[in-house]
Parts: sequence; structure tokens; C-alpha cells
Amino acid sequence: MGTEEKVITRRDFVRGAVYTTLGTSVIGVPWQDGLSKTNSSLVTIVRNQNAMNSSRYVDIKTVEMMLKQTLLQFTGQRSTKDAWRSLIKSNDIVGLVPTEHLNPTHDEVVEAVTKSLRSAGISKRQIKEVQGWSGDPKNCSALIALPALKAHQQTGIGTVLKNYIMFSGNPERYHKSGSSRLGEIWNLPSVKGKTKLVLVDALYPLCDKGPQPDPRYKWAYHGLIAGSDPVAVETVGVKIIMEKRKALRGEDWPLSPPPVCVEAADRIHGLGTSKMANIRIKKSGWTQDSLV
Amino acid sequence: MLLTKKNVLAVKRFMIFAVFLQAFLLMQSKDATANMGESMINPLLKVGLWSRAETVQNITDQNIFQYMNGAGEVYLGYRFDYLDVYKYKGAGLPEILVEIYWMKSSDDAFGLLSMDWGGEPVIFNESLDSQPSPAIAPASRALYGAGLLRIWSENVYVRILVEHETAESKKVVLSLGKAITRNRIVTPQPKLLNLLSSYVNPGWKLRSDRIAYFRSYLVLNTIYFLSFKNILKLNLSTEAVFAPYERTTDQKDNRRVQFLLIKYETAAQAQSALASFCRTYLEENNKKTVSGMMVDTPLFYQIEEGWVGFRLTGRYLSLVLNSQEKSEGLLILNQIQSNIPKMEIDDGN
Repeated sequence: MGTEEKVITRRDFVRGAVYTTLGTSVIGVPWQDGLSKTNSSLVTIVRNQNAMNSSRYVDIKTVEMMLKQTLLQFTGQRSTKDAWRSLIKSNDIVGLVPTEHLNPTHDEVVEAVTKSLRSAGISKRQIKEVQGWSGDPKNCSALIALPALKAHQQTGIGTVLKNYIMFSGNPERYHKSGSSRLGEIWNLPSVKGKTKLVLVDALYPLCDKGPQPDPRYKWAYHGLIAGSDPVAVETVGVKIIMEKRKALRGEDWPLSPPPVCVEAADRIHGLGTSKMANIRIKKSGWTQDSLV
Repeated sequence: MLLTKKNVLAVKRFMIFAVFLQAFLLMQSKDATANMGESMINPLLKVGLWSRAETVQNITDQNIFQYMNGAGEVYLGYRFDYLDVYKYKGAGLPEILVEIYWMKSSDDAFGLLSMDWGGEPVIFNESLDSQPSPAIAPASRALYGAGLLRIWSENVYVRILVEHETAESKKVVLSLGKAITRNRIVTPQPKLLNLLSSYVNPGWKLRSDRIAYFRSYLVLNTIYFLSFKNILKLNLSTEAVFAPYERTTDQKDNRRVQFLLIKYETAAQAQSALASFCRTYLEENNKKTVSGMMVDTPLFYQIEEGWVGFRLTGRYLSLVLNSQEKSEGLLILNQIQSNIPKMEIDDGN
């Protein structure tokens, strides 16, 4: 009995005992207090109600403006060129990592980022899309994560931490109970330390039934969410989704299964903070139904 | 013709040949008929301003993850056979995606629809689409919302999706749904649901819009998370229904009891599943539970979220997952007991 792997159940979540169990059984690493970062992490949310029209076609000019605002807000720089230069070196090979499939990142967001990088002096040759089975971050010195905001039926949330799942070479390992390990992918040698910006496409998020698209659960949030702390950005995304679900049902509607990957990425993999108290959210633009 | 010995032999040979030819042709037509049920769903090539290619994309359990990533687990969690995918395009128009999921049984197709009863009910054929009453789950066989039409039709589950909905695209989506379901047989909801009661007196009503029928713990976890492991030993041979009950007596009383009913292939499997559940979910009570466990006696334990109770009746395991009062949980748990023997007789057990 003592050598059997402890099974995580709903009761562990209710008791707040999940991460002790995770650390010592599922992941095999003793949970250590203090791995969690205590400095606050900045997450920006820029929204513009003109980002999409009523038929949900994206206006690229508006997205470009939102991106510029995001960069300036996040970096504190005065121009996008300086903003990018504070994040990326002039000789970096930059890997863009959008969501390719099933509620994908809008092409306009990827296009806006590419155009913005080019305007900052990063050449076309230096910019690569590295998502999917053929993507390999090994040859990139900088990564920009560009996931689309969505819930996920197997992992609770399928946005930031799951964005790099294909880099593992074994995505199946990270579904079901393995989703608590998603953070370890970010510590792989080909990935570790390379992510300069996480920019979440929250123009038209999905709050249930992901990854399969279900328009009943999509809504026009018209937002871009950004930060350098992937866990903090994910936490804010989870909060937005949870608030939308509550608004839809008129009562609490928790993500099921619970997004165990988020706090695990904080307390076990040391990737960032999952505590809202340690996250500074800077919002700008359209304020209606901001949900945070 | 003269009846010579030679001629008689030729006639005999011809008759033998004719018999074999007839048998051969009969076999061919049977094969065609056997396949006809499946090949009869041949979505329209052209509808409104949209048209599709003649070829169909066929998805099996071997490539379902390439097609839809982790979402494939949901379909494999029911008895999935294969998926036919059709894409409709029109100049300057949003694409319409038609997915026809062929399942092993009508119950599995129903289960997929039951994962979410949201949407506007659509009736394609008044006389065919009515459910023999009383139906425990909603009677809808097709639900539409925001550009997505979902249909349960015999052993087929259909999704027809247009992401940029317009009045015209809605008409087309509904036309496609109607055409796909034409001439298909109306099958009843899974028999297991007949064990439930819409009302449990005093004061409890079934939230029929939250009933879900399933076979997989992964599907259960999308509805009500229990564990990352399969602690109830669900598999493709089991049937389960999740059915929340709510108070009816006071609008301000928002208490809810989550009821879970599982039918296993054998009583031994049900006992093994219960032992697994007690070992992992009620581990602090495990010794007491195992030693106290008798067939067909309800047992209750108090945990963080209220009371958990269960009752094992042959191959049926009923569970109440969180009731505020033990007595309420017992009331819900007992509701099916009188129906089980009758169902077992009906099943020939």
C-alpha cells in the first residue's frame, strides 16, 4: 500500500492537497515550498471592440494597434522598435508558436507580430513558425508564444502551457493525469529560457468543449493578453474563462477537469506565479465585460 | 429441340449454371444491402450557394488524433466506429463542415448528444422525431446554436458547423441536417435511463437538461471531475448515467445532489469497481468500507463536500456524490431499486 502511487481525486482539490500529492507521486519530485515565485508578474490586457466586425472578421489594422499598445505597456518603452529590442536581440532567430489547429490563433495576429518584428529590424529570414510536428525550437534563440485562449476537455485549459506540447515529441504523455507535467516541456533544453513574450489571442476565446470548436461557447472578447511569465498569463486566461462560464450559466461552473497544470507549473516546475495576488494586471481599451 | 442425350445434358448443365448464377447475384445484392444503411447517408453535393467535393475524408481511430487532437478522446470514450468529413464551400462564403460520426450503437450516438443539451431543439420530421413518453432525458434529437447543429440519428452523431453564422448559412445547415436524417430509423433513448425518476418525493426533481450518458471516465471528468485515474473502472462495456437532482420546494434552496448510476457487464466487475472507488476516494474509511460492504445495502460517508453514498445491486452501482444530508442522499439512492429487478428480467438476466 505504501508503495502504490497516490491517486489524485476531487477531494484533494477540495482539501487543497493536490500539489503535495502531485509533487511526491505523479511527478516524482518532492514538492518544495518556495519554488513558487513571490515577485509580482505583469500581465497586460488590451481590448478594442473594433478588432472584429459583427461577422467576426478580424480587422488587421486594429490588431496592429493593439499589438503596439501591448508592447509599449508591457515593456514601458516608447516605441515598438525599442520594445522589441528590450525583448529580443538583433541576431536572434525568432520562433513564433501559434495555435495551428482547432480554434487556431487568428492569422491576423501572427501577421501583425511578424510585421512588427520586421519593422524592428528582425529580417524575414530570422522569423520562423515552429508549431506542430515539423516545428523545432532547437534552432531558435527566442520564442514568442502565440496561443489562442481556449478551455480544453482533457486538461481544463488548453492555452499557454499546452502551447508547446508538440515540442515534447510525445504529446499523449501530457493529456489526462499527465497534464500536470505540461510545465516540464518549458524546461526542456531546446525551450528553456527562450520565451521572450507570451501573447494570447483572446479576440474570440472558447470557454467550453475545447479543443473542438463550439460557437455556442465562443464570444467576442476582442483582446490580447500578454506577459513574460507564462503561468501568470495562463492564470489570467483561466480567470477570464471561469468568469465567462459563470456569466453563461448564472452560477459557478468550474472547469472540469480542473486545470491542474497551472499551479503545477508554478509550484513544481517553477515557471511563474499562479496566484492572482502576485499578478499585476494592466488593462487598457474597451472595458465592457472585461471579466477581470 | 430434340431430346437427345446430348441435349438433356446441356440443359442440365445450363440449369446448374443458372442456379449458381442466381445464388451469386443474390449474395451480391445482400452485400449491397448490408452496406446500404451506411452508404445511404450521402450528403447533398450542392445546397444553396455551397457545394462540396465528391470525395469524403474518412477518419478512423488510427488517425482521429491527427484530425482533432485531444478531442478524439471524447469519441473514443464512446464506441466510435469511424467519421466521415465533408466540407462545403462557396465563393466568398464561410465554410460549412459536416462531420458524421458512425458509432457502434444508437446509445453511443445518444451519449454524444447528451453531453450538452444546450441549443434550440430542431424537429426534422414531426411524426418520426417524437420520443415515446415518458422520456427521462430531453426529447430533442437535434439541437442548433450559433451555427452548430448536433444530431442524434440511430447510430450516427452529426455535427454541422459554420463558424460565421448568417441567416442563409443557418438555412443551409438545417437543410443538410434534414437530408442526412431522412429515412433513418427513430431509436429510443438508452434503457438505463428508464431506471431514473424525474421526481423523487419529497421535493427533488431531476435536472433533465444535465443528464449525460457515457462509458468513459474521461467523459465523466468533463461533466463532474472525480479523479485523473479510472477509479470506477469504466470501459466500453459499461454504461453510466450522470443525473443531478435539485430541490423543488423552495426557489432559494439551491441544493443539488449528484447521482451516478453505472451498469457493469457482471456483478463481479461492479464489486471490483466499488472496491477501487472506496480504496481511492474513501481511503480513510477503506477498512471499514470493505468489511462493511454488503450487497444491496446503502452505505454513506461524510467527506469535505457533504455525504458520499453508494449501493451495489448485482451489476448496478449507484452513487450519490455530494448530498448535504445523508437522508436526502439515501432518498435519491433508493429511487432505482425497485426498477432494477424488472430491468434485469427484461434483459434476460
